[in-house]
Amino acid sequence: MAWLSAFGQAALRWLSILAVLALWQAFAEAHVVSDFLLPPFSTVLVRLYRDVASGDIILDIALTLYRALAGFALAAVSGVAVGILIARVPLMRWFFDPLVSIGLPMPKIAFLPVFILWFGVFDASKILMVAFSAVFPVIVASWAAADGVEAVLLWSALSLGAGRHRLLWEIALPASLPQIFTGLQVALPISLIVEIVNEMTMGGEGLGGTIMTQMRFADSPGVFAGVLAIAVIGTALVKAMEMIRHRLLLWHPETLAASA
Amino acid sequence: MTSGIFFHDVSHTYRPPHGRPVLALERVSLEVREREFLALLGPSGCGKSTLLYLLGGFLPIEVGGITVAGKPIAGPGSDRGIVFQNFALYPWKTVRQNILYGLEKQKRPRAERERRARELIELVHLRGFENSYPAQLSGGMKQRVAIARTLAVDPAILLMDEPFGALDAQTRALMHEELLAIIGRTPKTVVFVTHDVREAVYLADRVAVMSARPGRIKEIVDTTFAGAKGPEIARTSEFAEKVEHLWGLVRGEAILAQERREP
Amino acid sequence: MRYLPLLPLAVAWEAAPRLGLVSPDVLPPVSAVLRAWLRLLQDGDLAVHGLSSLQNLAAGLALGIVVGVALGVSMAWYSPVEILINPLIRVLYPLPRSALIPVMILWFGLGAASKIAAVFLGCLLPVVMGAFNGARGVEQVLIWSALAAGAKRREVLWEVVLPAAMPEILAGVRNALALSFILLVAAELITSQRGMGYLISSFGEGGAYDAMFAAVLTVSAVGFFADRLYLLLMGLALRWRG
Repeated sequence: MAWLSAFGQAALRWLSILAVLALWQAFAEAHVVSDFLLPPFSTVLVRLYRDVASGDIILDIALTLYRALAGFALAAVSGVAVGILIARVPLMRWFFDPLVSIGLPMPKIAFLPVFILWFGVFDASKILMVAFSAVFPVIVASWAAADGVEAVLLWSALSLGAGRHRLLWEIALPASLPQIFTGLQVALPISLIVEIVNEMTMGGEGLGGTIMTQMRFADSPGVFAGVLAIAVIGTALVKAMEMIRHRLLLWHPETLAASA
Repeated sequence: MTSGIFFHDVSHTYRPPHGRPVLALERVSLEVREREFLALLGPSGCGKSTLLYLLGGFLPIEVGGITVAGKPIAGPGSDRGIVFQNFALYPWKTVRQNILYGLEKQKRPRAERERRARELIELVHLRGFENSYPAQLSGGMKQRVAIARTLAVDPAILLMDEPFGALDAQTRALMHEELLAIIGRTPKTVVFVTHDVREAVYLADRVAVMSARPGRIKEIVDTTFAGAKGPEIARTSEFAEKVEHLWGLVRGEAILAQERREP
Repeated sequence: MRYLPLLPLAVAWEAAPRLGLVSPDVLPPVSAVLRAWLRLLQDGDLAVHGLSSLQNLAAGLALGIVVGVALGVSMAWYSPVEILINPLIRVLYPLPRSALIPVMILWFGLGAASKIAAVFLGCLLPVVMGAFNGARGVEQVLIWSALAAGAKRREVLWEVVLPAAMPEILAGVRNALALSFILLVAAELITSQRGMGYLISSFGEGGAYDAMFAAVLTVSAVGFFADRLYLLLMGLALRWRG
């Protein structure tokens, strides 16, 4: 569908979402399945609105976002540092390579009870669990980026008189930024997902916990409203990252090509 | 089976996903005689490949008509075999399996299929590579597999879209000889698209020069020579004259095409 | 070898709790974890719960692969299918599938069905995307060659498009494999009476931390080896790439 302009494509995306919602509404109103299994979209929307108005869900959203983003920030900082170090320091590479290669395909969520054991049942264990899960894609991306910085870029900077340290900050880092940022873009949804699962497992407050409570009370519209909230937040976060990427990487060929 | 091809006032408009429609061919009329080797020569973008794809039945004929042996064509068929510039081999199949594909589609009995495949592998000098995958072959070898695969179903008409364009000069020269040898043994009607003037004069009986877009037939030049074609032909003055003449025609059209692109 | 650094790590793991650097309650020494693992094996716990988890995972994954490939390739080949299904994909894509676990429990209860459904939904999207992109990306000339060889359109779909799309499909399945583990363990941690996730959380709540670690490591190891095994099989299937 490349014949549509960027605006046209965005419009089409919204249209498809509306089409699906319309289908949902029609399907639910036809009562093919009970309202319990599939409450009409209108009911869910009203419920969401009421939760937002009463402020209940706002607290949950804030808590979930706080924990997810705190974990993400931790993963981002440590992941970039470790990734770059692995690329440049042979000892780090020797030590971390097996850990990263084993850690990547592992279902890290299995470690949640371990984190609970170590860090208790409050925020700390959740945040660290998020960081643990999200750090791997950041490490891999930063590692690849640092490895891949074109030798000629570094050499020309060196011949222009750049010292080794400035080389890292002024040349290697900006050149690696696109790939590192891609790793961060992968890590952000992971952070949200892991936090949701944390809360669903441990209960309490936060979007995940609230959804589980509503499920136990067979509050079907409540569950769907919660899922809807998660979908909206997830999409907002992804969009925010895309916008930040565009701003940050204005100089990069991919951005220039897109606006050409 | 007769295999004369007639193009009657064929036009074609190319409609890209974004941008305006482009008239690629304008009222092309052409006759390809049975068992003739005809080259379509012209500058880039003149529509020669488009004409070939229309004949192959891969593009719908919207304006005008094309008949083969008196009947209008209706989609692709095994009477018109095609060889592409980038080989189009099935990478997950071995050389042998690639060649067998058309034979399987024709539902020939097993023993006959295997025999024919072996024949063709011999014909294109690829004995020993039957079980190799395309990724393991050189460009020239890949193109030989492509030719063998197309010849396997014995099409009366052979369509070739700049088949040697991706090969280096030496390999290309060898392939010219191989192609002429194959055609010599099993005569076919060949429609050969190229932008290389010498190649066209060397291989073809007639060369149809196409104009810049929108493509029309500008001139048809006879390129048969007295006696059989061999490398010595390329050194005669008659050959050089023909090349010179055609080169002048093509060059004129290429300049026109360039001027239209940069007004 | 590449995994050599794990050795000093294992030594540290054994030494630290023994020397009192960390509390042995919080981090049982490796030897205790291994002993607990053997006990689980002998008691049959590992077999019963491990098998239960594996069954649900395999069922969800298999369903996801079959439906995903069928959907993705159909979308690439038949535009009405694409127009119909594309909006659904767009809507599901930004939604973390683990958020749908409570919905699955609402629909299917607390048993195996909800786990299989959760895994299925998680696996579906990466496979559909891989199949769609793979089928879309098939070179036009390959299709034309097959048509010229006398193949009918349906034959071209099965004999040319599907094999040509295999590299992308298999890459999507690898993603789906990793996601299937995550979703299964998550679903089992959230609510379950069987399976490895249940084992982990019940040991955790019961204070049998050496057994808990044993179960966690088992799950991690299986996830790791499953990925490695898959890479091997994928390499075999795609050996024609040279």
